[in-house]
Amino acid sequence: MTVLIDRINHWLGRTAAWLTLAMAVAVAAIVLLRYALAQNTILLQEAVSYGHGLVLMLGIAYTLKESGHVRVDILYSSRSPRWRALVDLFGHLFLLLPVAGLLLATSVPYALSAWRILEGSSEVGGLPGVFLLKTLIPLMAALLLLQGLSEIGKAWRRLAEGSSQ
Amino acid sequence: MEALAPILLFALVFALLLLGYPVALTLAGGSFAFALACAGLGIFDLDVLGFLPGRLYGIMANQTLIAVPLFVFMGAMLERTRIAEQLLRALSGLLGGLPGGLGLGVLLMGALMAASTGIVGATVVTLGLMALPNLLRQGYDPQLATGTISATGTLGQIIPPSIALVLLGDVLSNAYSQAQLAQGVFAPKTVSIGDLFAGSLLPGAVLVALYALYLVAVATLRPQRAPARRQGGAESDAPTATDLVRALLAPMSLILAVLGSILAGLATPTEAAGVGALGAVLLALGNRTLNRELLRSVCESTLKTTAMVFFILIGASVFALVFRGLGGDVLVQGLFEGFPGGALSALAAVMLVIFLLGFVLDFIEITFVVIPVVGPGLLALGIDPIWLGVLIAVNLQTSFLTPPFGFALFYLRGVTPRDIPTAAMYRGVVPFVALQLVLLMLLFAFPILATWLPGALR
Repeated sequence: MTVLIDRINHWLGRTAAWLTLAMAVAVAAIVLLRYALAQNTILLQEAVSYGHGLVLMLGIAYTLKESGHVRVDILYSSRSPRWRALVDLFGHLFLLLPVAGLLLATSVPYALSAWRILEGSSEVGGLPGVFLLKTLIPLMAALLLLQGLSEIGKAWRRLAEGSSQ
Repeated sequence: MEALAPILLFALVFALLLLGYPVALTLAGGSFAFALACAGLGIFDLDVLGFLPGRLYGIMANQTLIAVPLFVFMGAMLERTRIAEQLLRALSGLLGGLPGGLGLGVLLMGALMAASTGIVGATVVTLGLMALPNLLRQGYDPQLATGTISATGTLGQIIPPSIALVLLGDVLSNAYSQAQLAQGVFAPKTVSIGDLFAGSLLPGAVLVALYALYLVAVATLRPQRAPARRQGGAESDAPTATDLVRALLAPMSLILAVLGSILAGLATPTEAAGVGALGAVLLALGNRTLNRELLRSVCESTLKTTAMVFFILIGASVFALVFRGLGGDVLVQGLFEGFPGGALSALAAVMLVIFLLGFVLDFIEITFVVIPVVGPGLLALGIDPIWLGVLIAVNLQTSFLTPPFGFALFYLRGVTPRDIPTAAMYRGVVPFVALQLVLLMLLFAFPILATWLPGALR
């Protein structure tokens, strides 16, 4: 189970990562079009915005898997592996899971109401997918919840291995 | 009891943060748990949390914050393709013959490059790995060498274009409009990231000059502490003109073009960052270090840093909702209005608190958690937002350097050879902290240091 969850988030994160390069290219293209050719670039600007949203929302669970979320490690880094596994287990259970639940519970109705009207851009000539963008919020929460479950398993194993030695 | 709830929330979250669980989740989870408890006591309305998805969407759709992944990309690219390393080599080749030349090279490189990650720890570690061995090999006093690295590694935070200033600028601009709205100003003035960049440029330059003077003074008065390049040594081969152009002029003109176009108002920070990111790719193509694997690793580290930063912003917005739902903003506002000694002493008190928090929290957390709480109150007292931003940035940088708790020292310890005692590192950084304090006092006495350039550019 943990392997499957890890694989899903790994694939999503690695794929979304390429969007950062695409964003750089697109923004440079916007600058060129606007200043050199005086072209309207609303579509491209919104595409960059969508890319940004995807990078953030798909990146959060992946970054959790990769231990990339910063910690206040003044105490943490000098403690034993057992202490660290305990802190992680505590955090996953009592901080991560409730937060993921809260985000999911509040954002599902939020996304659904955007779906009901198939909410589009507020700009004239913008992309028609604001409802899809808003769907990224519950998706992020769900991926975070799944990755949290996987991390609970890993922290538990670290604890068990630590005490059997 | 009820009035104390926001303070208890702050204390609880702070205590939880010390455990070392990821900051974003601790902010959100601790605040949520506290909100549930307060709802049980009937002093918090859980409906407030219904605003959360709207806040998240606002974060996602915030156009100025799109500059963050692009700046991170640019920095990661310059760092991983050895462009930063080549810049250091070129600078030390160029300056190596001067007293303190290698130290000056490290200082300049750090000022130009170290800004991109937004995490003080990461910047100091990178610079430590890249430059500390060079300094030690050339016979620099370890005390001076580690002091220079810590100070230079944090310097990048306050020199534009840095991620820290982008985030601080965005938060301050929200706080500023909030403060004016509360006062019933119908045509509110704005403050932008570009303003903050312009405001921090002169103080940053003063600081670089102070550091440089110190290095040259030490090297002249005590040459054995900062020996000049040995003649005929392996590292003394002077770089050729083409090497210099490639290693020095190319990245420097990229960074100056990015910064210049923002300051001149030619491009938004996002546009400049996008062009800068693509420019970094082209530089890597130019020096033939670019390949698919490297590009992938740059993209991935950009994604991770971006997700990390924005997740903290999400966590901080849960905290902010609960804090406000408990009346925390009213509490802070009242505290400032009745503050003995008026606006300046309130500002001094906030600066002290931020300085102390800087021992535990990084730039991002303080920007997202503390500034939204204290910013509107201070700005409502008539304090200039650019001045406030620059003061906060320099103050935090000083805090990161101050022994024994300074972040920079903590991280640099991890990449410093064991035979250099921690006490020597502490002693080495003291002169730099003193220079920081000089700048802070100058800024406090002469706000025009921060406000002149943004005004002149408008």
